[in-house]
This record gives sequence, C-alpha cells and structure tokens, in this order.
Amino acid sequence: MTGNSEISLSKVARVNGAARLSGSVLRYSRLVDYPLIALSAAIIVIIGLLVLPPIWTLIRTSFANTMPDLSTAGFTLDHYINLVTGRNLAVSAVNSIVFATCATILSLIIGGILAWLVERTDAPLKGLAYVTTIVSLGTPYILYVTAWLYLLGRAGPFNDLYRTWIDPTSTPFNVNSLTGMILIEGFLWSPLVFLLLSSTFRAANADMEEAARMSGASILDTIRLISMKLARPALFALALFVFIRNIEAFEVPALVGMPGRVDVLTTELYKSIKEVPPRVGYASAFSVVMLIIVGALLFLYGKMSKQAERYASITGKGFRPRPFALGRGRWIAGLVILVNFAIVLALPISAILWTSLMPFVRPMRWMALGTTTIKHYEAVVSSPYYLGLALNTLMVSAGTATVVMLLALVAGWLAARRKPGAAIVDQLITMPLVFPGLVLGIALLEIGLRFPIPIYGTLWLIGLAFVIRYMPYGMRYAYSGVLQIHSELEQAASVSGANIRESLRLIVGPLLIPALTSGWLFIFLIAAKEMSLPLLLAGPSSQTISVAMFDLWANGQGGEVAALGLMWVTFMTIVATTFYRIARRLSLSSFGH
Amino acid sequence: MMRFLQAFLRAAATVVIVAAVAIRPAPAQTVDANLIEAAKKEGEVVWYTTLVVTQIVRPLVQAFEKKYPGIKVSYTAAPFQEVATRIVNEGRGANVRADLFDGGATFYPINAAGFAAPYKPAAAAVYPAEFKDPSGYWTANIVQVVSPAINTDLVPASDAPKTLDDLLDSKWRGRMAWTDAPSAGGPPGFIGAVLLSLGKEKGMEFLTKLAEQRIANIPSNQRVVLDQNIGGQYPLVLCIFNYHAAISASQGAPVKWLKVLPILTFGTVAMVKNGPHPNATKLFIEFMLSEEGQKIHADAGYIPAHPNVPAKSPDLKPEVGKYEYKLVTAEMYNAHAAEWTSIYKKLFQ
Repeated sequence: MTGNSEISLSKVARVNGAARLSGSVLRYSRLVDYPLIALSAAIIVIIGLLVLPPIWTLIRTSFANTMPDLSTAGFTLDHYINLVTGRNLAVSAVNSIVFATCATILSLIIGGILAWLVERTDAPLKGLAYVTTIVSLGTPYILYVTAWLYLLGRAGPFNDLYRTWIDPTSTPFNVNSLTGMILIEGFLWSPLVFLLLSSTFRAANADMEEAARMSGASILDTIRLISMKLARPALFALALFVFIRNIEAFEVPALVGMPGRVDVLTTELYKSIKEVPPRVGYASAFSVVMLIIVGALLFLYGKMSKQAERYASITGKGFRPRPFALGRGRWIAGLVILVNFAIVLALPISAILWTSLMPFVRPMRWMALGTTTIKHYEAVVSSPYYLGLALNTLMVSAGTATVVMLLALVAGWLAARRKPGAAIVDQLITMPLVFPGLVLGIALLEIGLRFPIPIYGTLWLIGLAFVIRYMPYGMRYAYSGVLQIHSELEQAASVSGANIRESLRLIVGPLLIPALTSGWLFIFLIAAKEMSLPLLLAGPSSQTISVAMFDLWANGQGGEVAALGLMWVTFMTIVATTFYRIARRLSLSSFGH
Repeated sequence: MMRFLQAFLRAAATVVIVAAVAIRPAPAQTVDANLIEAAKKEGEVVWYTTLVVTQIVRPLVQAFEKKYPGIKVSYTAAPFQEVATRIVNEGRGANVRADLFDGGATFYPINAAGFAAPYKPAAAAVYPAEFKDPSGYWTANIVQVVSPAINTDLVPASDAPKTLDDLLDSKWRGRMAWTDAPSAGGPPGFIGAVLLSLGKEKGMEFLTKLAEQRIANIPSNQRVVLDQNIGGQYPLVLCIFNYHAAISASQGAPVKWLKVLPILTFGTVAMVKNGPHPNATKLFIEFMLSEEGQKIHADAGYIPAHPNVPAKSPDLKPEVGKYEYKLVTAEMYNAHAAEWTSIYKKLFQ
C-alpha cells in the first residue's frame, strides 16, 4: 500500500506536465464516463437506503397524529402549528442564533489556532495538543458537561475563590446562562475543528507561505493572507457544519440553560421527547424544518464553493510541507497550547477526578481531602460485567468508523469534484445531521423489528444507527480533504490510463490518509460515548459502556460514573493513540513529514 | 416534662413496632412446583428495567439464578421513557422480546397501547390493597417517599422549613431546585399533592406564590437534584426521594430530608402481554416480591413495598417514622397528568 502510493505519486509527477498541456484539448470532465456514473449511482443507492427510510418515518410522523402505541394515523398540521405558536418564539430564535454563532466562533478559534500551530509551525508541546483533543473527545458527554456545571456552578471553585478573596456575598459566575452555554458548547466541539483543520493544514503546501515570508510579510500577515485564505473553503464548510450542529443541539441548552430559564428553539424539543409518551410528532416537525434549512444552506454553500479548486495546494509538483519557523514566537505558541490544555482538558478532568475520589459530591476544599476514598474504583474493578460492555463498545465504534470513512471517501470525492450526482450525494449524506437521537432511534426500532435479518437487539442494529448518525461527520472530513488535492493529479492518472478504482486507491486514498485518519478517530471516539441510541436499541447481549454510565449517573452513582469514565477515557486514549501512530506512519510515506 | 414524656412514648412506640415487625412469623412462602417446572422449561426471562444495575438488578438476578438454576435472567437498563417506547414498539411490531418491566410511570403508556398483561402474585397477598392493581396489572416493588431536603452545612436546623408556607419565605427565592420529571415523584405530583391537601382554591393560591420563588428546573432526575443540594448549588430542594437522602447522610453527606408534605408513591412491576417466557416471568416476579427478594431491595437502600420487610433505616417508612403523608399513586397521577402538568408548565417553566 505505502510502496504503491509512492510509486503512483512519482508516476503522476512524471506525467504531470503532459496532462497540463493536453488539459485544454482533452476536457477530462466532459467525457461521458460510464464507470463514474455507475459509481455515483451505486453510492447514491447505498446512502439512500440508509437515509431515506428514517427520513420517510420523520416526514410521516410530522404530519400525523401519534397514537398511544406510537403508531401514526390521520393527517394533521398541529405539530407544525405548535412549532410557531410556542411561547417566546422571537426570544428563543434570537437566543438560538446567538448561541450557535458564538459557540461556532469559539470552537473555530480554539480548534483553528491550535491546528495551525501544531501542523504548520515549529511550536513546542505539539503532543499535548493531540492528547487534549483525544482525551476530551473520549470523555463521556454527561461527565464533561457535569464537570463544567460543577466548576462554574454556585458552589464551584471559581465562585468559591471569588467569595473567599473578593466578595463573600456574591456569585459572579452564573453557569446557567447564555454565556455558560456558549462556553461549554464551544469547548465541546473544538476538538472536531482541531482534527478537521489539522488534516487540512498537514496536507497544505508551504511554498506560498514561504514565498510570502521571503517577500517580507510578517508572520501575522502570512497567516491572514496565505494560510487562512488557503484553508478558506475548508474553514467555511466547517463553520457551516458546526453552526448547523449547534443550532440543532439540545443537550447543552437543556442541561445548562434550562435551570436558568434560557430558552432556545430546541428547549421545547428536549421537553417534547422527555414526555410520556414522547411527543414524537413535534420533534419530527422540528427536524423536518431543520432539514429544509440545512438543505438550503448546503445549496448556497455549493454555489459559493464552485471555485474551491483554486485553493487546492496539493498539486503534481513534488512538495514537502515544511514547518513555519516562529522564531521568538515559539514560546507564545507553547503557552497557547498549554492554556488550551488547561481549559479544555485539565480543568474538567480534575473535577471528574475529584468526584471519583469523594464519597459523595462536595465542593473542592482542603478539608474534604480527608475523606478521599477509592471505593468507586474498587466498585468498577470488581464488576467483571464492564469488560463485556467495553468489548461491545469497541467493536461497534471501530466498525462504524471504518464503514463511515469508506463511504465518505467515495462520497466526499464525488461531491468535492462535482461529479455527476454530486449535489444529491452531499444532500443525502448530510441529512442525518438534523435527526434528534430519539427520533432516529424510534425509526430504527421500527426498521429493526421488521428487518428480514434478525438484527433487533444486536450490535448490528446499533452499528446501523451509528453509521447513519455519523455519516455527515465522516463526509466533512473526506470532503475538505479532497478539496485540497488538485484534480490535476487524477487527470494525470487518467491520462496515464488509470481507471476510477485505481485512481481512488492509488492517488486520492493515500493523499487523503490524514483526513481519513482524523475522521476515523473522531467517529470512533464520539460513537463510543453516544448514549441516546444505545439506550433505545441495545438488547440484553448488546449493552454498551455508555448505557452502563447513563444508568449509574441517572441513579446518583456520580462517583462510580466518574471512576468508570476516567478508566474508560484512559483506555480509549491508549487505543486511539496507537491507531493514530500507525496512521501517521502511513501518511508519512505519502507526505514525507 | 411533657415534652420528655412525649419523646419517651414515641421512642417506646417505635421499639414496639420494630419488635412486632421482627417477631411476626413469616408466612410460609410456597411457590407452585408446576410453575417452577414450566419456568425451567422456558429457561430464560427478559427484564427491561429502570433500576440501577450494579446496586439492585445484579444482586437480584444472582440470587434468583442461584435459587432456580437453569433459568437465566437477561436484562437491559434504560430510563422509563425508553423502556416504555421499546416495549410499545415491540408490541406493535408483533415481535415481543421483553417479559417484564418496572418503574411507576412505565406502566401507563404500555397499558394504554394494550401491551401489559395481568398477573396477581401470591407473594403480594400480604401487601396493602393500595399497592396492588385490583385486576392484577401491576404490583408495587418499592416505596418512594418524595420530600424536600436541605443542605445542613448551608441551612441551620432552625432555618429549615417546617410547613408548606415556610417554602414561601423570601430567603429561598432563587435558591431552590427540583427535577423536571413528568411523574408522581416530580413537580406535577407535588402540585397534585398540594391541591389534594389544601383544596383547589387555597392550593392554587399557594402554588402561585411558590412560583414567584423561581425554582430552578433541573432537566434530570431526583437523585441528580439531591446531589446538587449536597454539593452546595441549591441549599433547599423539593421532590427528592427520602431514601436517597438517608443513604447519602449515612455516608456523611450534609443532607437532611424534611417531613414537609411527604408524598408517598411507589414503583411497580408488571408483565408484558405475549412475552416469550410467561412462566419464568411469574416465578421471577414471585421472587422479587417475596420477603427474600424484598430484603435484597432493602439492602440496596430502597424502601421495600413488603409490609414485613423493614427499610435499611427503618424510620423511612411512614408507619415506623410516624409521619403523615399524602398518597399520590402513579394511577392517580395518570388520571390527573394533563391538569397537573399544565399547571406546572404555566406557573413554573
């Protein structure tokens, strides 16, 4: 595999000149390319089969009355009317937009700066940035959010310190506010941005940056005028994606905002699915509206990114991206990485560690140290049943990540290269982004119960649900990866007689390794901690670790969840790091750095 | 002197009751041999549970499997909403996997969809009438007493609310929290208990004033709210389960539950219609509700429903702790859910 990619690159480099010359004569894209159309059709059918049945359930449920047995009957517009007649629609819409925009900007700033420092410069402490990302992605959602609620809460260390040293009567930080929601959501998604952009930056050609520096541009000008501009299509796609994710997020708005009565558009969605029986119709109607908005945004984005090829910097020329010398700025860069580590990881993890060592939840005080206990760890270690759950979780998340990234490789290439059916592929694969977990779960319960092969109650059904849920994420990684690779490489391959399969396997695949690795890692880690789907779909023999964590958490075993969570995160970090090292070695052979 | 005498009498009464409970001969519990035989033929029972796996589910399963070798108990744990959604979907798809389920509020959506089956356990013959459905559709397995609690580090005993009206004191404004659970043990249940105790007019007057205290709605369950109380986020919380407070207090947590409008409700166990292993299910329910099974519940910190099995801290049970309570069963909740929930939404959300 590695040997092949090297050979193919040099082969491409050799024919590159010829391809350029013939490019104007032989319009590569105008040829009727039957294998390409077949590939495109095949991928549309596969993704369609995965996405359309739940979409159909969604639309049907949104227009029908839900019966006590959760079946649907009749036709009604009530669910849509309820959407607009909800209380304070204007206020919650404004809150939603402020929340999603600010959280997106925060994630982009944190993740973007970090990715640039790590991949494009000679900054110290690069390993720490990766550790921060992998560990925070591996940390179960409820533990991470609860840790922040605790840290910034009324009895948390920040308010405590303020009261001790400044004003004993006040509580300056109110975590149950729009600011608290933005901070936590921003921190939560910054690893996604980091992983996506680091693969973009890693594969970027440094020639232009170096040229700018040599022509006398300052470091900041170089970043502004060259690095960020080159990453613009990827950045824009990413910003849009994170924004969509944030506007339909309901976990942080509920857990953080609800106690402070900060309503966003999804607050009512959260309430509707927690009722008994759940108001599935309302949740579906909300999702259908989101589906239309997301479709429109993607359409607009497609129009704007037609020129994306201009930004591709991996061309047929031999190149070797070199790190950018920061000079005296190195120590500032190191400090930035350190501060990010402290805020995004060390703080919440220390809160979780504290919880895991205390017999019950209590404020961080010196005097409480006397009650330190390891009983929660003993409880975890003495329950062999967690081992089986860990194995289930590993299998289903690794399987999901692999299947999703394989699909995304083909789909991302088709979409980024504007091949036949590109728009359909992109729209279809992005649709599951708007599914609330419960709505997708109910659709899959139904599908699983009627599936000709008995997958109900098995890991296969959870895997199927995960593939549908995480396809949009895999797509973003593959898509922005392909955008960077100039199509002249494939044109050259084609001229040299390579068919689509060969050009995907020998050219696009190897050059995409950084993007595919980042995507795999992200999906693997995020699938392993996903809760809403396994809670609905796991059978007695397909329980996952997140089901066990939710069970403990919901029943007040906060200490044991923290202990189990930390041990699990450690384990996942080892698995993820091992994988990452192997993949990095593969990518070394393609990029030589 | 009078006060001393009262205290003495109360203590004496407690001793007598505890002794009476302890000496009362256990009724011979015989399970029909035919049932055991039929259950062994089925070999398995599938339990969809809302209880904590490590604390109660596994100890119960292990004890049952030891007593009846050859019958395996498979379980999946999930919150009651998910358990109900699953069983309803299995029933509608005519592909039933679950045999039994628990949780007070779980029963009603499943029954409304027509997927619950009746069974009158012999083990529950001694249970009080209000703990059993007259037609046998459900039987109580655990008792839940819903009450307020204070953080004793933050609230001196003299400041602790003693009556409902004390909750209206301005010092609690913005410092109280409760769960958003839509059940008898959540705010709608509390609203119901207030209306039943004070009457409609006075009750609404009280609730309107209480709403001005701006109670934080925590989007989680009673236990998580209690942890926020113990952690010092909210000095006073409403609608928590008293046995949770007792468990934490016994570990040294600064928490005390208050006998201010304690609400008595309970969790139930019920059979799924057309479950694949009906006999093993019946045998398992018999075991769960027997003195032996109920003791396992008590050891795990729950308040057992069985009248002869004391709680781990006996005074959690109203008849031992000698306190007045308001009964709000899941059934009463189900009948009034629309009214109580709409008051909750209008005044408190």
